Formats: sequence, structure tokens, C-alpha cells
Amino acid sequence: MATQTLVLPGDTISPNILPIPSNPSHFLKLGPGLRHTPPSTITSVLAGSLCIDPKKNAIWVENNSGRYIPQPHDLILATVHHSSTDWYHCAITPYTTLAQLPHLAFEGATKKTRPQLNAGSLVYARVVSAAKHTDVEITCCNASTGKSEGMGELKGGMVFDVSLGMARRLLLARQREEGGIVVLEGLAEKVAFEVAVGRNGKVWVKSGGVKETLLVGRALQETDREGLGVEEQGRLVKKLLRGL
Amino acid sequence: MPREAEPSINEKAFLLQALHEDIRLDGRALDAYRNLDISFGDDYGVADVRLGKTRVLTRISASITAPRPDRKFDGIFTITTELSPLASPAFESGRQSDLETHLSRILETSLRRSQALSTESLCLVAGRQVWSLRADVHVLDHDGGLIDACCLCTLAALRHYRIPDSSVKGGDLTVYSALERDPVPLALLHHPLCVTLVFFDAGEKWLVDATVMELQCSEGEIVVAANPQGEVCLVQKGGGGEVEALVVLRCVEVAMGKVRELGKAVDGALERDARRRDKGGMSRELRAENER
Amino acid sequence: MANTTLSPLHRADGSARYTKNGYSVIAAVNGPIEVQRRDELPEEAAVDVAVRPAAGLGGLPERHLESILQNTLRHVIVVSAHPRTLIQFTLQIVTSPGDDSVTGSLPQASSNLPVLPALLQASILALLSTSIPLFMTLTATLVAVNPNGILLVEPSVQEIKLASSIHVLAFSSHGDLLVVESEGDFTIDKWEEVHKKAKSICHEEAGDESESGSEDVSMSSDDSSKIENVLKEAVERKIAKEQRWKESTG
Repeated sequence: MATQTLVLPGDTISPNILPIPSNPSHFLKLGPGLRHTPPSTITSVLAGSLCIDPKKNAIWVENNSGRYIPQPHDLILATVHHSSTDWYHCAITPYTTLAQLPHLAFEGATKKTRPQLNAGSLVYARVVSAAKHTDVEITCCNASTGKSEGMGELKGGMVFDVSLGMARRLLLARQREEGGIVVLEGLAEKVAFEVAVGRNGKVWVKSGGVKETLLVGRALQETDREGLGVEEQGRLVKKLLRGL
Repeated sequence: MPREAEPSINEKAFLLQALHEDIRLDGRALDAYRNLDISFGDDYGVADVRLGKTRVLTRISASITAPRPDRKFDGIFTITTELSPLASPAFESGRQSDLETHLSRILETSLRRSQALSTESLCLVAGRQVWSLRADVHVLDHDGGLIDACCLCTLAALRHYRIPDSSVKGGDLTVYSALERDPVPLALLHHPLCVTLVFFDAGEKWLVDATVMELQCSEGEIVVAANPQGEVCLVQKGGGGEVEALVVLRCVEVAMGKVRELGKAVDGALERDARRRDKGGMSRELRAENER
Repeated sequence: MANTTLSPLHRADGSARYTKNGYSVIAAVNGPIEVQRRDELPEEAAVDVAVRPAAGLGGLPERHLESILQNTLRHVIVVSAHPRTLIQFTLQIVTSPGDDSVTGSLPQASSNLPVLPALLQASILALLSTSIPLFMTLTATLVAVNPNGILLVEPSVQEIKLASSIHVLAFSSHGDLLVVESEGDFTIDKWEEVHKKAKSICHEEAGDESESGSEDVSMSSDDSSKIENVLKEAVERKIAKEQRWKESTG
């Protein structure tokens, strides 16, 4: 289990608390919120809880607030803003520079068969590159396999805003154990629905009818807002299903 | 230049679909306002109104100036609204947007030109000295319902404000500080409030207190300003979509009911605040009595 | 006593309300967002600050405060992390104690230095509630010197009026002097004294949080000596809220 302490920007991380690698050839991994000043000073640049995972030899600052900043490999929900010769320009968060989605970055897309997306279409995509001096590039297919892997245009449904921390928890491989989320599992016993979670704090939900879709969306938002634990989520699910 | 984020096609379609089933995204009834919370600052004339996620703060301040030469017996009352990036990054500071112009015109008509505040009562020495009263409306958070919230907030602040007491002896003006004499309330003739309705499907469906997203998906809006006595001060339709006259009448009728509801909320908030002030203010009141 | 609220606003990326000594300020930060071409900087984020007075439109005093804040915040934020973007601050003064006397004209004092510590503190709190990387945090205070040469920390409006000089000083969390703005007549020796006093208020506490960790504040019982703690408490509350699901899961 990772241990936690509070850090403020500018705090120097004492070398004593750094994880000791099991093998000297393993490098220490610095996650978000930390800054390395050669030779060996590590300072925090964010306010949050400092998390240390000795098993993975990693250290990072957990901060779930503010604006989403694109990172490579993140899954996100983007809205197409307009199309140009080779790209769709998509908005990941409002008021930021648009990200680029190549016309051919879809499963099996060629010049002739590529999907035609109108302005305002919703896409589920992965961030390819997010270097600070270039525009963000996103894709809707896995470059090595050429498969869509669930990404691409999303039709119908509704988008719900959640906090960045909630989105991260929803995307964990073991939602229940690590993220403490059972609300989706609970609802799935009675209601059929699809979800796509974007790391940028957006969740797309599609279900049979308006009522069901709203039910799932609201359940997620309430779990997030109130910080509900596993048992409380169970109660919420029961309450909501009864109302249906 | 930053632009306001448009909802995606999916979101728009879903919102409209839900409306056809008479469902709003936040679960409200079509004609229901969001949670309204009115609070007042420690100073007189500062009102903080929260309507759902929308939040507006109004501050009333007064100073003494010379009147306009053509209106010697009238004080000056100005309302300033500035939308800053506090509310949304799409608002640029220092540049007036269309929304801002729209907002300030409606406040101007509903509160100033409807003679809600008697400007004559702001006159101190005719032709020489008058009160210049200003209302600074600060929009802190914007999630729709701006017009309604701003109007309500400004009215609440005006009703809450106490202007310094003064007396004129032989053409000489004396203004008393709060310690010398308790400041006095403003002379408000009536209490107008705005209610905005947005409509869809050529007026077939209408909503009260729309959020930003509902507003973005709508075809147009009707603003009605009226006082709880049932007198209409302003009806304005915007947005381009066409509506039948009967729908407009129906809207005014609905707005009347809402104005009464909102008026009661303001009354209640003012009463609560007066009670809060009275607790510690007992001694002060007694002292004022003794002076006379 | 300082009163802080993190994230009172929904729309802004980061926001904070800071109330102290009669001043109350709401700060909002948006960023990193798209920058206008003319303000774009190729190697760093542009920092834009707007200060809005409680009543009336901003004037020269506000522009002066904006330039001080802009120059300070530019060094606090890791601007190189987000080049060609904008980090936008909007600071709304909600109350300032000078407004009590409505009898005169609008409160348009020649300078507005007394509000500066609150503005600095509110902007740093707002930054802490975002994901914008920072080199450090800062703490600011106001010291007045009265005609008898006595130093007054966080003076009242009356004391400021009578003071022969007033000084605003801000220190980084590493104890370095970040901002110093002085007004009035004073000697270098007096300034040194002010500097020492201000540093003891802003930083002595900051020193122990990373090194010694001792909590005894015997040197001054003034509540302003806990400015650094105010930041810490605010962040603790934020984290506790974010982590609530973990606790309730057990």
C-alpha cells in the first residue's frame, strides 16, 4: 500500500523517505507533481498528498483538481470543433488550444473510407503526444494493431462531468479494489448501459432511455460529489433503482 | 481568443429528447427555479445571491456630487455590470460582450427606468448636491439565469442598503456618520424582479431558469420584469425563434407567479438578516433612542 | 483571524476566498488556456492579472497592484512548463475596511498597498487548488511604522492613516524576499527592522515545517504568525474532501 504525506509546492522531498529499490538497476520513477534538480534534489511543484509505491519504485503527488492537462496514453472524450485538409480539430477541455486528430487515425480508414465527422461530434480517443511545444495529437486506433479498441465516434448518449480524480478512479483496472467504486456494477444488475470514461473528467453514458441514462450519470456524479464509500454507493444504487 | 464551449451534438440531442419527455437534466420541473440562496454582507447594501451554480454579488455605494444641469431635483443612480473571467474565461475583462450589453440594458429598464428607486429622494440641496448611488453587479459564477439572478441581487442589495442620514439647515448640508445617526433605508417605490423563460419547438415547450446548456440549445428567450403587485415593467423577446402571441401571454402569466415567489424569498432573507443584526444591535438601538 | 475557502467558484479552474484584517478577496485562476496571439510568449506561459475593486471601476491604483502581482506570480509559477498558453488571474475585492466611511466620496485612496497582502495570499491559495506547477508558495504581510517609530503588524485603517510609512513584504516558502513595496518616509535602518519583523512573521514558521517541525510560537502570539499554516490547513481540507471515499470505504 502506498503511503501518503502532505506536500506544498517548493517542499524538498527528503531522500530518507524515497523508496529503496530492490535492485540497484531499477531507477526511481518520478510521477506528476515532482521536479528533479540535478544531481539529486527532488522538489514538489503541486499541493497534494505525496504517494510512494515501494513495489513499483515510484513516487508522485496526487492532485485531482484544476484543469486537465493532456498526457500521452490517456483516454479522453473530445468534441470535434472543425475539420481541415488532414485533421479534425478537437476540443479536449474548453478554452484551450484544439488537439489534432488525423483523418486516417481510425480503424481501417483510408482516404475514401474515413469516417465523416461533423462539428460537434463526440469522439473517444487516446492522447498520442502532448509535448509542450507542439499541439496535442490524439488518435482513435491503436497504431501497432490498427484496431479501434473501443475508440472512435460515440453516437447518442449523454456526457456527464465528473472530477479528474473520479475519472482516474473509474479508469483503474480494478475499479472496486483500488478505486472503491461499485456504483456501476450495482446499476448494471438492473439497467443495461454503456459507458466511456475520459481522463479529462467526462463520462459518456448511453442506455435504453432518457431516464436510465440520467440515472447512471447522476449516480456517478453523486458518488463523486459526496465522496461516497462502497456501502453508501450500494445504498444509493438501491434507492435509485427503486425510483425507476 | 477564448470562446464559449459549445455542447456536442450528442448532448444537444439528448437534452431535447429529454425535454420531449418533460425531463430536465438536473431533475427539476420545467417551471422550477434552482436552489436560491440570498445572503447579506456585514456592510449594508452588499447582497450575495446563489442560484444553483450561478453566483452574483452586488454592492451599493453612495457619494455626493452635483446633479445634472437639466435635472436639478434628481439624484443619480447607476448600475454597472461587468462580466469578468471569474465567471467564465470566455468573458474578457475590459471588453463589453453582447451578453453584457443585453444584461445591463435589461437591468437598466427593469430597475432604473421603472422608477423602482425614486431619484428625487436622493436630492439633498436642489441644483447643488445630490446623492450619486451606484450598484456594482459582480457576476462571480455563471451557469445560466444571469438576468434573473442579477436583478434579484441588485434589488435585494437596494432594499438592504442604508444611506447616511442628513439634514439641511439654511442651505448647509450635514451628513451624519453611522455613529451619530442611524442611516436610513432608500425610498423604493416598488420591487420589480426579472423572470427569464427559454423556449423550444416554436414555443411549444418552455423552461424557467435555464442553465447555460439549456440556453445554448434553446430557440429563444423571453424576459419579463414585473413587481409582486402584478404590474409588468418589461417584456422582451430575443433569440430569433418565432412564437405565437398566446405563448407570450402565457409566459407573462407564469412569470407573474414566479415574481411573487422570488419576492417572498427576498422578503424572507431581509427579515432573517434584520433579526441577525438585531441580536447584537439591541444596545445600539437603545442608544439612538436616548439621543433623541 | 484569516479565513480561507478553497474553490468557492464552480466555473474557474482554481479559486479561493481569503478574508483577513477586514479585507476579503475572491481569486480565480484559469489556466493553462489558449492565449491571444499578441500576448503569446514562445518559451513560457503568459500570466495575466486583473484586479477589480469592490465599488467603481478599476483605475490607476488597481493597474499598479496588477503589475506587482503579475511580476511576482510569474516567478512563483513554473511558467516554462506550459509555453504559449495563458494563466489568467482575476481578483475581486469583496470588502475593504476603508469603505466604512460612506460620507465622503468613493474610497479612492492614493495607493492601495494595504490590500496587497490579501491579494497575494488569495492568488496563491487559488493556485494551490489547480494543477498549475509552482516553484514555491508565498506568504505576505503588511507592516506600518507609526510616527514614534513603533512597528505595527497588520495595522487597522486608522493606524495606516497615521503611520509615517507602510511596507508590504512577501517571502517565498524558502524564506527569500519576493515582494517589497514601501511608502512614506523611513530610514534604511528602520527598513531593516521592518524586514526582520516581517520575515519572522512570514517565514520562521515556514522554516520549521520542513526542518524542525516544532510548533512552539513563543516569539509572537500574533495570529498573523501562522500565515504559512493557513495555506497548509486549506490544502489539508481539500485533500480530506478528495479522499473522503477512501475513508468511508475503510
